[in-house]
Amino acid sequence: MLLVYIARRILWAIPLLFAVSLIAFALITAPPGDYLTTFAATLAQSGDVVDEARLDALRERYGFDQPFIIQYFRWIGGVLQGDFGISFEWQQPVSQLIWERMALSVTLALATLMFTWAMALPIGIYSAVRKYSIGDYFFTTIGFIGLATPNFLFALVLMYVAVVHFGSDVSGLFSEQYQDAPWSLAKMGDLAAHIWIPVIILGTSATASLVRIMRANLLDELHRPYVTTARAKGLSEWRLILKYPVRIAINPFISTIGWAFPQLISGAVITAFVLSLPTSGPLMLQALLAQDMYLAGAFILLLCCLSIVGMLVSDILLAVIDPRIRFR
Amino acid sequence: MRQDTASDTFTPKGRGLARLMLGAAILPLMAFSTAAQDATGQAPSLAAMVDAGNLPPVAERVGDEPEVVNPLNEVGAYGGDLRIYLRGSSDHNHILRVVGPQGLVRWDPQYTEIVPNVAERVEVTEGGRVFTFHLRDGMKWSDGAPFTADDVMFNVEDLVLNEEFAPTPPRYTSGGEPMQVEKLDDYTVRFTFKEPYGDFLAELASPLGQHPVLYAKHYCSQFLPAYNSDGLAALIEENGATDWQNLFLQKCGDLEIPARWGNPERPTLDPWVISEPYVGGATRVVMTRNPYFWQIDTEGNQLPYIDQVVAPIDQDVESLILSVMGGNVDFGLRHIDPPANRPVLAQNREKGDYDFFEAKSTGGTDMSISLNLTHKDPEKRALFREKDFRVALSLGMDRQEIIDTVMLGQGEPWQQGPFEDHPYHHEQIATQFLEHDPEQANALLDGLGLERGEDGIRRMANGDPVRFQVDVIPTFDPTWVDSLQLIEQQWAEIGVDMEINPMERTFFYERTSNSNDHDAAVWRATQSWVAGQIPQMLVPVHHDSRYGIAWKDWYLSGGEKGEEPPASIKKRLELYDAARGMTDAEERRQAMLEIAQIAADEFETIGVSQALPTYGIVKNDLMNVPESMPSSWYYPTPSPTLPQTWFWKSE
Repeated sequence: MLLVYIARRILWAIPLLFAVSLIAFALITAPPGDYLTTFAATLAQSGDVVDEARLDALRERYGFDQPFIIQYFRWIGGVLQGDFGISFEWQQPVSQLIWERMALSVTLALATLMFTWAMALPIGIYSAVRKYSIGDYFFTTIGFIGLATPNFLFALVLMYVAVVHFGSDVSGLFSEQYQDAPWSLAKMGDLAAHIWIPVIILGTSATASLVRIMRANLLDELHRPYVTTARAKGLSEWRLILKYPVRIAINPFISTIGWAFPQLISGAVITAFVLSLPTSGPLMLQALLAQDMYLAGAFILLLCCLSIVGMLVSDILLAVIDPRIRFR
Repeated sequence: MRQDTASDTFTPKGRGLARLMLGAAILPLMAFSTAAQDATGQAPSLAAMVDAGNLPPVAERVGDEPEVVNPLNEVGAYGGDLRIYLRGSSDHNHILRVVGPQGLVRWDPQYTEIVPNVAERVEVTEGGRVFTFHLRDGMKWSDGAPFTADDVMFNVEDLVLNEEFAPTPPRYTSGGEPMQVEKLDDYTVRFTFKEPYGDFLAELASPLGQHPVLYAKHYCSQFLPAYNSDGLAALIEENGATDWQNLFLQKCGDLEIPARWGNPERPTLDPWVISEPYVGGATRVVMTRNPYFWQIDTEGNQLPYIDQVVAPIDQDVESLILSVMGGNVDFGLRHIDPPANRPVLAQNREKGDYDFFEAKSTGGTDMSISLNLTHKDPEKRALFREKDFRVALSLGMDRQEIIDTVMLGQGEPWQQGPFEDHPYHHEQIATQFLEHDPEQANALLDGLGLERGEDGIRRMANGDPVRFQVDVIPTFDPTWVDSLQLIEQQWAEIGVDMEINPMERTFFYERTSNSNDHDAAVWRATQSWVAGQIPQMLVPVHHDSRYGIAWKDWYLSGGEKGEEPPASIKKRLELYDAARGMTDAEERRQAMLEIAQIAADEFETIGVSQALPTYGIVKNDLMNVPESMPSSWYYPTPSPTLPQTWFWKSE
């Protein structure tokens, strides 16, 4: 039953991906101008002058003067054969550029997810069970601040305070001596020493919203008759709460796994941009800003794939954890 | 502390004669005394390698004829890093500006004369048609391979003149024909043009003129079909390239693309060579000293003094400012110099242990409004082409109010062109129609038959209101939009309805430079019209000539595209082509002034205020950095001040 369900979902993903790639490519080429216009504009902004004849020659070489649909089929044809094209900006193959940054993106996304869960789960349960206590108000206040503050602003403030008052630099994921060093235990340690800042910055708002969701869901469950029954039967309070209502209230956590997949790439683009994190977010933003079509297109295609896979995984997990979904 | 010797050399006052040479591409260039100095000193790290037998001795490395450089203030000491920065992607030209375009010739620190660089000397003969470059005997690429005339031949014949690689840039042609190059001996090459080409050396000194010595033949030839027909396909496959052109750019770069700094294996002639490359995903770029660099100081020490150039990549300008404040930047001008940042940079001088240096504008104005004289709408075109209309707009502007309100009182009303102390200064084009005279402006507009309607807005002959949009990129210069808001009110008083049309930069380029759909546009016009610069506000020769994009297309396509310009423009284009060929400085100056006179009589663009100097930051202990330097891409700041002679004061 489950296998058929999975197979059907995967088959549906194929036309979806095709449609998405067409829309993505159309969106990328929709703004006026092309990579070379942006290139000329970027250089002009810094007072540099670009060679006009070279621009025209490159425009022809890259095929920017071709109609949209020809450009699209050229691109998607390559993608189907595993060739994502080259990045105009870096002259490097797109696939190489994307994979270079993936490992750190995955690490950061996983660490953030762990942090969010580790914080949100106990706090959410606590605020539901001890509704309107001092602790609940405290966490609620913090939660609303966390929700209301944009991550990148939080990052900027933190950076400013660190530089002005402590004379230290909180941006990046590595100390200077480890930046381009090969991987070693010391470098891992260095990463661990740096990663908690972006993790906290990225995790606060997600934590806050999960706390709210957990609290609300749990509050709904706590007054159900089965809770009263279990309590009447003499089950210890914590065991009762963790075993029954929490299991139902936890569904949103599982659903967020679906969202976590695309977050691997697009996670907190602006925050990573501000903090100069060597993850894929800033590279994607730059590719979009620079109209570096093939690089941006590959990113968006990858995002869609990950979203589809992520949703599939979370649906399967939900079915596994929640028997009500499985037997529906 | 840095001494003040630089500031008077940079003051052009009283240096009219020297400044006259600005246009003088053709001067009998003085060769630096070559035999006077032997290379004896070198960085400790290199000395250790020599002792260990891993590197030839320094005298051998710099060759028989190294350039002897006289450092600005004093002979320096070896060691230390120079920390700069890069802003995200496409900031490769920052590296270029610091490392320097190591072309055959370069500008001197004052931006007044062209001096030999990679070439040891050059002879210009046959009235400026023939350029004979004498290279430096025994000079080496950064990997130790000899640099000879064959490298120049390779660059010119196999790349510059190779249409399959890229079209030949116009700066290597004259009279419609590309230059000819011949090898006289291992260290002598001769470039021959069809017609006299006085500006050629200035073109070579600009960052876009490095082509003849950009690529090392022994390395880059492996990516060309002519040299590696058998192995090329495998190399393309191996590197995931699409074709050999892409592979070549990936491995050897081009003048102005990031990939130029992306391959540590590529041999160069630069003072520092890439060790941590500028590639997608990089978080910093590091360059280390070139052990074969071909310049020495007056005491025979091989340059550069500084071991490494380190450039962390920050994604946005605010983080750059934070780095400067935190004292993590040793030299900075690019991106951080808008006036809005000055207070916060000044406030943190002590904490960051840095001070300001001045980056002087070469002339002209920071803000120039061009009406589209080749507008697609015939009504608007006819209106914009009335000189009286443009004069009225200029007279209707209260420049002093703009300067006082937007520019904090700094600046002086100015139309365009070099400042008073420059030999190319043309009084009329710079200072005509600057006064605020609404009465006269109204009279001129009345004279054109533009009657005011009930709403106070004037009407054109067909009854449409005199209304147009000024396109502007707000992110380029925040004062542009602020100034336009005042101008909008000022013009409303003379019955002209101007709308500010802020837009994203790519859209702006597309609309104004490519498709010619704009009514009017704002751009900067910081220029002194000397050789090597593109005087786009005098003659429509560049996509920044937004008053006559269709004329520019006509000129650049040789009459095939665009629109035939009127006599005044044609005359200027002819004069401009002639001026580029002139070998006599005074003659060229007269030609440019004649162009300026015609442009002044036509009055195509409307300027606001003199271009202000900006300020960069330099660490207090970083020596030999001048207190003032010209700020220009064509110079390009700061490389002619020779960062390879900068050094750290030892405690």
